[in-house]
Amino acid sequence: MTRTFLTIAIGAAVALATGLVMTAPARAQSGAVAAAMAEGAVGEQADGYLGIAGSVSAAVRSEVESINIKRRAAYTDLAGKRGVTVQDVAAATGCQTLSSRVKAGQVYRIGAGPWQTKGSAPIALPSYCATAG
Amino acid sequence: MKKETIIAAGFAGLALGGCIQVKAPDKPIEINLNVKVQQEVVVRLQRDAQDLIQNNPELFPQ
Repeated sequence: MTRTFLTIAIGAAVALATGLVMTAPARAQSGAVAAAMAEGAVGEQADGYLGIAGSVSAAVRSEVESINIKRRAAYTDLAGKRGVTVQDVAAATGCQTLSSRVKAGQVYRIGAGPWQTKGSAPIALPSYCATAG
Repeated sequence: MKKETIIAAGFAGLALGGCIQVKAPDKPIEINLNVKVQQEVVVRLQRDAQDLIQNNPELFPQ
């Protein structure tokens, strides 16, 4: 009984410590991605993922990849709950990021098109993006 | 004799006075709801996507 408790306690402590170690640099790099987005080196894509539009450091590149992997996991989870494809969820999220997240001066890309810089006008969304919601 | 005549006349009248024919159409009746359903899926997903973004701010830096 005591032994079990001890094992759990050690396990929890290790998990907590790992979590602390993991989150601190991840947070710092996430700020680096935001900075790269402000510079137009990283941008949102209509496919629901981040893309690299300019020259970025290896750290930013790896953080973008990490975010995209986590996004894919979140899309996969939601797709399973709703009975739709991962691409459907990703595309719907892409509609949202392009319509309400990308700020003026930041870059975005639709499909295989060129990177474009958002101006003061709203981004012309792909036709599959619903107007409602 | 008289009775039979009346019955025969009745049948004749029925035959002459247009029967209503109900006939199943050759082609199946199709009601296309695909467009509406697809639109609803997209709208519902848009809301889900909004929630996903709001609930995972670390995945959506700005």
